[in-house]
Amino acid sequence: MERNQMQMHRQIATIRKSLFDQGYLDEQFVQLEELQDNSNPNFVEEVVTLFYRDSARFLYNLDQALEKRPLDFSRLDSLMHQFKGSSSSIGAKKVKIECTHFRDYCNARNTEGCKRTFQHVKKEYTTLKKKLEAYFQMSRQAGPIETACRPR
Amino acid sequence: MTVEEIRGVVAGNNEINRFPIGMRVLAVDDDPTCLKLLDGLLRKCQYQVTTTNQAITALKMLKENRNRFDLVISDVYMPDMDGFKLLELVGLEMDLPVIMLSGNSDPKLVMKGITHGACDYLVKPVRLEELRNIWQHVIRRKVESKPQSKSNNNHEKSNQGNEGGDQNVKLNRKRKDEDEDVEENGHESDDDPSSQKKPRVVWSIDLHRKFVAAVNQLGDEKAVPRRILDLMNVDGLTRENVASHLQKYRLYIKRISHQANMVAAFGGSKDASSYMRMSPLEGLGDFRILSSSGRLSNAAYAPSGILGRLNSATGVTLHSLMAPPLVQPNHTQNKLQPVNHQNMNLFQEIPSSFDQCSNKPNTQLTDFSSIEESRIFTGNKLVDFNSIDESRMFTGSNPLMDPSVGLGSKSLKLSSTGSESFNLLSSSSNFLDQNGNQPPNFSSNQLPVGGNYGYSATVKGGICSNITTTDTIPLEAHGGGLVDEIVQNVNNQSLSNQKNGQYSKQDYSQYSQNAFSTLASLALASGGGGGLSGPLSHGGLNGGTSALFKTEMPSLEMKMRSSEDGLVVNNGYGSLDGLMTGMMKREQEARMIVDGEFGYDSYAFGPCA
Repeated sequence: MERNQMQMHRQIATIRKSLFDQGYLDEQFVQLEELQDNSNPNFVEEVVTLFYRDSARFLYNLDQALEKRPLDFSRLDSLMHQFKGSSSSIGAKKVKIECTHFRDYCNARNTEGCKRTFQHVKKEYTTLKKKLEAYFQMSRQAGPIETACRPR
Repeated sequence: MTVEEIRGVVAGNNEINRFPIGMRVLAVDDDPTCLKLLDGLLRKCQYQVTTTNQAITALKMLKENRNRFDLVISDVYMPDMDGFKLLELVGLEMDLPVIMLSGNSDPKLVMKGITHGACDYLVKPVRLEELRNIWQHVIRRKVESKPQSKSNNNHEKSNQGNEGGDQNVKLNRKRKDEDEDVEENGHESDDDPSSQKKPRVVWSIDLHRKFVAAVNQLGDEKAVPRRILDLMNVDGLTRENVASHLQKYRLYIKRISHQANMVAAFGGSKDASSYMRMSPLEGLGDFRILSSSGRLSNAAYAPSGILGRLNSATGVTLHSLMAPPLVQPNHTQNKLQPVNHQNMNLFQEIPSSFDQCSNKPNTQLTDFSSIEESRIFTGNKLVDFNSIDESRMFTGSNPLMDPSVGLGSKSLKLSSTGSESFNLLSSSSNFLDQNGNQPPNFSSNQLPVGGNYGYSATVKGGICSNITTTDTIPLEAHGGGLVDEIVQNVNNQSLSNQKNGQYSKQDYSQYSQNAFSTLASLALASGGGGGLSGPLSHGGLNGGTSALFKTEMPSLEMKMRSSEDGLVVNNGYGSLDGLMTGMMKREQEARMIVDGEFGYDSYAFGPCA
């Protein structure tokens, strides 16, 4: 059991590392992890869950706004700004980058550019969500690291 | 006060000496993710956190119990209320430090935050390290407001009964356990208790005068707070108050000397004294003096007009009262140039006159005073108030102390000798007295406090004289009356601009935070411009303005706000709104005055924190 657990923890660590290496997550995510402790044992997962739940409305609004003609660039920009702020809070690096591209196109009042980058934003957003979900699930299964390392 | 005392005061009873642990923070952010993150971060710092995602709720909580929180952190962009607005309200009404939070790091926004009174501006995502230090804003505010608690007529209830007395006045205010309900600031010459929740020492002109007298008497070397305090023999004033005031004074003097040098560089050919003889008072009309106690400091700056303004010095206990040297009223355009020279000469001469002050104080001082006055109001004249620095010298709660303060810069320089400044001060006082109507409130904002005092007083319709200088922010205590004046801190560089009687863009970047900034902040707060709530640590606006002048306000803010912020020293400000309006008007006026050259937009406010 212990060995399994240790293996799982190692696996989790690997996955985690790859998330960083591949640029899905950045330093901010580490901040979240640091805030997790005994009094706040699931902090990271809670914040991420909250993010995905809350940001859905931004994406919805953005989708709606992008359907209008002509585009209301300032509104788009403002929505995206908020969304970007949220994403950066959890360390969603790729999502953030795509948000920036979106805003650039917004500022340039480039309709096609906006629509295109928005698709990228959504893609990154969804990809990260899946990866994090898997990551958290595994973490829960593996249990706290302390138990895995406790010598018997 | 000692660290322990501060801690004790700030923290709750059960957390004495553990501050900043347990500091009570109110976090406001409409984004739940960010809010949760913020909550986690703050808890990690061991603060006591309360969160809400609505600004309105936050305000309600704050209003219910002002002493429930030590610090407020708020997002800028919120759907139900603009973060800046919340900032103003909190700063103005509650005198709590407010930190802004935003995903946007645009300097303009940062500036806006600062001018509205924020103690600090953090960019999301916020890091733990940044939050670990925010408690400093709480302390700073307490410390800043401490000296303000003493106003001439103020009686600080909270001081009584505290160990060591006065120093805790302010701190006590923060303690929720020790809510003594002493609105000292409110008790100060103004009747608006709601404006201040903490007693602050207000450095009224009289008080400042005493202070300078004591300093001069002791001599530069021996002027230590303890002795000064003893000499001053003022009830309720603590050594700490004096110490902090002294520090500002010294900075001011330094700045003045610097200013004077700059002035000298201009090399006017006119006889400074002749300039002085100009009836500055008239020009001063717009002089605004920040008088914390609404006392028009010696700046008899303005002849009735000015004084009128001064009256409004709502509670701005800004030291600015010091010296209206900000503006040199030039009666005529023609004189602008000369005036400048004169100003410079003035400055140059001042030292000498100072020297002679002791001998013929009246003569000298009078001149000086006039200059100072002129300084303050630019009115039609251009004023290069380099000397503004002097006034700035006293940051924070110095209400316009005598114009001598303005002279101050000069005198400050001389202050090394001590006696001269003293003489000057007294002279200026006399001078002021001459004007007769010294409104109890200084409407003009004397920003002379502290450091550079870039005071560009723009006189209505007149040329804006900039008294720039230094960073100190020309606290404009616009009292209701003073609305006309906009004192702007102008950089020294503006002097050259001034030559033409026009203000070129004022470079506020020089504004350093001085005590004036606090005043400024107060002014601002009252002006409603920026609730300098954050940085304003001066609680002691005299004249009941709720203007929170926070010494921490960057001088720029003060300046900029001169019209809006309420450097209002008006005692008469009944409401912040009034102040704000006044300020805004003034600012606008100032703009106009400058022949359109006034550029207020580039305010470089220093950080408040």
